[in-house]
Amino acid sequence: MMCKSKLYLILFTAIIFCACNSTQKINTKYYEENEKELNNIEQSFKTLYTQKPFSIEFTDRSFDFVSIEIMTDSIKYIYEFGIDETRLKDTLLKYTLNEKGIRDIITKMRSIHCTWINNLDYYVDEQKSSLIFISMRPVGLSKPFTNKKYYILTYFSQPQYFNSEGKLLVKKQRNKIRKINGEIFWRINDKVCYTISARFR
Amino acid sequence: MSFPKKYYSIFFLISGCFLETNIARASDIFRIEKDTLNASARQLAIAFIQKTDTLARSSFWPNIKPATFLENIKLNINKPLSIYEGVSTNFCGYAALSYILLHDDPLVYAKFMLELYEHGEAIMGKVTFRPSPEIKQAAGSMKFKGKLDIRPADQMWFLSLADHFKGYLNLFDKHYDAGDEDKLWASVNYAKFNRMLRELFDEKMDAVGSDLIHPAISDLYEYISSKMKTGTMVLYINNTFLYKKTHSALKLAVPTHYIILQNISKADDTITMIYWDYGGRSLRQLTPRFLKRITYGITHCTKKMNDVQE
Repeated sequence: MMCKSKLYLILFTAIIFCACNSTQKINTKYYEENEKELNNIEQSFKTLYTQKPFSIEFTDRSFDFVSIEIMTDSIKYIYEFGIDETRLKDTLLKYTLNEKGIRDIITKMRSIHCTWINNLDYYVDEQKSSLIFISMRPVGLSKPFTNKKYYILTYFSQPQYFNSEGKLLVKKQRNKIRKINGEIFWRINDKVCYTISARFR
Repeated sequence: MSFPKKYYSIFFLISGCFLETNIARASDIFRIEKDTLNASARQLAIAFIQKTDTLARSSFWPNIKPATFLENIKLNINKPLSIYEGVSTNFCGYAALSYILLHDDPLVYAKFMLELYEHGEAIMGKVTFRPSPEIKQAAGSMKFKGKLDIRPADQMWFLSLADHFKGYLNLFDKHYDAGDEDKLWASVNYAKFNRMLRELFDEKMDAVGSDLIHPAISDLYEYISSKMKTGTMVLYINNTFLYKKTHSALKLAVPTHYIILQNISKADDTITMIYWDYGGRSLRQLTPRFLKRITYGITHCTKKMNDVQE
């Protein structure tokens, strides 16, 4: 009886340990496996964003509801729709957004469980730059006992600096680690970094 | 902004202890009868700041260049909506406070900021600010906070407010260390927010709500829309519903964010509100139930009419 209890305890501990460490397995591999779709989403978003700034967020776990933020000079409009609602199309047309292009991004985001895409501004030497911020909720990160459930990618327009461990730096010379939304990011390639986070934005 | 999760348990414990006090204080109608401070219109503030073309570098604030400082002040006076609390900071309460000051008393703001920069201390309302050496060192050197990175005057202002005013949420972290702007050191509970308004500004104000319990108002929309006609409205809300950051079904029912409500209207069962936060205005539609769910505090303040010089 005692041995059986110990066995259960060991098994339970092992399960918890594996579940808690599942985030470690998802790093650059996830990007490599979904590179084509991710780059496609990023490029489409970048093109459409220059026409009229916006962001897209899936607000539920089943990816049935989407929130769109439409930025104008004076105000940001935040609307939420079911993805099949006709209001979505009407709203995009009303604000003269590229309805077909945005719908296409929404479909692609849904297919790879991408929860949020936005353009973020950041500053280096008082000069403004921007990056594309993409959050995902991959199946591998959705296991229980994992606090960090979101895989986040940042697409820079310029090559970045990294230290020997692959951590994103502010500048090459200073070796100072750059944080984005309070997180340290890791190198995938010169322009793309990732992190695993508890928050998608 | 929200504060780190590890502090939530502490927050609950402490809030429980202080709940009664908070409700009592926040529900009071605060009236400042003294009419000594002169409010100023934007033109007066612009004229004042334009006279200050050059500013000597301050020995009190080693990381703030005078030119960038002045540029920041001018921007806030000319475009008060643009003041921005920074990414991931707990400065939203101070930013909401700044909105009121920049709209109602921009000249007071301009004079105070120049005084603080040049002399390392300054008086506003009933408060004398003497920022600690750590604050003076940190202002102008904050990074990774978006637009706040390039706005040293806002860093100086927010840090000085957080350094001076303390509420029960700040009990465990009273001393500033680098990065504390994102932590409990900077957080603002509701009683503290109302106290800051009362002590700094020449406003008539009333507040209902608390840090844990929704205000006992049966028709929140009617209450807010009627109050809005006579002054500035600050809502203390649960940000995890307004700006989702996770898809977790379990959300803590605590307020973590301050917004300035600019407009509210209702059609059928849909409320459309326009509010200010994060350096800009947003329009959002929500149900009356959702509004009730997110709202924990309603502060209403009015500029004294005899002060207006426009």
